[in-house]
Amino acid sequence: MNETLSLSAFWTLFAPSIAAALVAAAVCGVLGFFVVLRRVAFVSAALGQISGLGVATGFLLGTVFGLDPHEHTPVYLDPVMLAIVLSAGTSLLLASVSRVQRASPESTVAFAYITASALAIIVLASPKIVQESHEVTDLLFGSTVAVRREHLVELGVVAAVVLASQFFLFKDFLFVSFDPEMARTLGLPVRRLDMVLNLSVGVAVTVATRAVGALPVFGFLVLPAGAALLAFQSVRVVLIVSVLGAMFAAGFGFYLSAAFDWPTGPMMVVVAAAYWPIAALFRLAGGRQRA
Amino acid sequence: MELIRLEHAEIGYVKPLLAPLDLSISRGDRLAVLGPNGGGKSTLLRSLLGLVPLLSGRRVLPQGKPPRLGYVPQAHRADPLYPLTALQVVLQGRYGLVGVGRSPSKADRAAAVTQLGKVGLSEQADKPFRSLSGGQRQRVLLARALCGEPELLVLDEFTSDLDPAASAGLLAEVSGLAQGSGVSVMFVTHEISAAAAHASTVALVDSRRGVFESGPMAQVLTGERLSRLYGQKVQVERRDGRTVVFVESGDAT
Repeated sequence: MNETLSLSAFWTLFAPSIAAALVAAAVCGVLGFFVVLRRVAFVSAALGQISGLGVATGFLLGTVFGLDPHEHTPVYLDPVMLAIVLSAGTSLLLASVSRVQRASPESTVAFAYITASALAIIVLASPKIVQESHEVTDLLFGSTVAVRREHLVELGVVAAVVLASQFFLFKDFLFVSFDPEMARTLGLPVRRLDMVLNLSVGVAVTVATRAVGALPVFGFLVLPAGAALLAFQSVRVVLIVSVLGAMFAAGFGFYLSAAFDWPTGPMMVVVAAAYWPIAALFRLAGGRQRA
Repeated sequence: MELIRLEHAEIGYVKPLLAPLDLSISRGDRLAVLGPNGGGKSTLLRSLLGLVPLLSGRRVLPQGKPPRLGYVPQAHRADPLYPLTALQVVLQGRYGLVGVGRSPSKADRAAAVTQLGKVGLSEQADKPFRSLSGGQRQRVLLARALCGEPELLVLDEFTSDLDPAASAGLLAEVSGLAQGSGVSVMFVTHEISAAAAHASTVALVDSRRGVFESGPMAQVLTGERLSRLYGQKVQVERRDGRTVVFVESGDAT
């Protein structure tokens, strides 16, 4: 262990990266509540692939239009912008398809994941952009320990919007997730609410992935919320535990990674994964009946 | 006062299930929808609610807006993941009145508590919805439907998972609650006796035989029509103000 790594030194060294990881974890902790309840846990993985497709397509289009990928590109050909638009569009599409009879959420997400993966590989195999693959990876998965300032700002803005929408619409999101038919009979705009929620997930996952990486975002989205739902019976408690659990996994995972010189993203996921057996034990002990 | 009307409506998902039909519900009506399994009863109900678009014809809202609806679906398969209490589920019935983006007030919460009490589940208020028995869950959903102060209460075979005694008791409760508050009720049921006991009008629906008839209970609920509907001989007798139904095995002819 690196015994000289005090908490203050740890913060000084990695402040922007720690802040990005904590913000990404908080947003994913809230959104994960709905992702797990709606049984679309792999939506994060699918959106990661779709972001990849967007970035790769952006580079390919740039070469088609004779642009240097290292120079400033018009916004409509910016790989990151294409990734966000494609992820947001797919999220909206998933919201529509999920209401189609006989289309299960799992198979719809799997369809998006497989198709985007295949297309991204095909686009990346193009000889025109093969030398840019490291750029694509950097844009896609960011670097957990070296977060760029602009990524942190982007993440902060997206987090503020997502958390504000959750603050005002949480009860409505929960209702349309639990019983969309009843919600429609009461006149709630079910489709629009679904779209807002899915759009939140799509944009948040894309931006958070760029800032801290795909694996931790997937972990923050699924593991704390899943464990909290396993252990507790109250919406409020589940939500608080999910958010705090994700943030703790981000902070403690980061610290362990820095202290032991282990990979950062995987360490965060390992900490979050530890919640599951704890939650299962808590449930077996009857704690769920009380909380 | 008329609340909602289907005019020359073709109902179904891809192909029409029945010839174009007309159906109207007015304030105070208690409409029972009867018919064999898979005959289109639930599709008719969902079309009337606007959950399934009409293939042709019109869904007319004489008040210029949909009536306030209270909907109780067929035995609700409570998703065991959702950590909602019985009271939180009932409170959802107020969300149409509360509005999107707003929090329920103390009055909304009080209304939910009152409705839960009316269906006899006050003590279950903080219990997880998913841990309740089938009958208790249906009562919670009934309380939720009533909590929104509906003008039209729509019940889709909501007692199908209950034993006959519980089913009859719950239907009687609904009838009493509805009559007490002047709410119109539309209910899909397989229990002809229940329809006779609680309905003022009856609709007979069977897409396979192309049957759709509706009208006053005494006029529609006859042995001849029910025999045609179910393809089995059905006798209807009225004794001491009660309607007794006998279904005989074998073909109606």
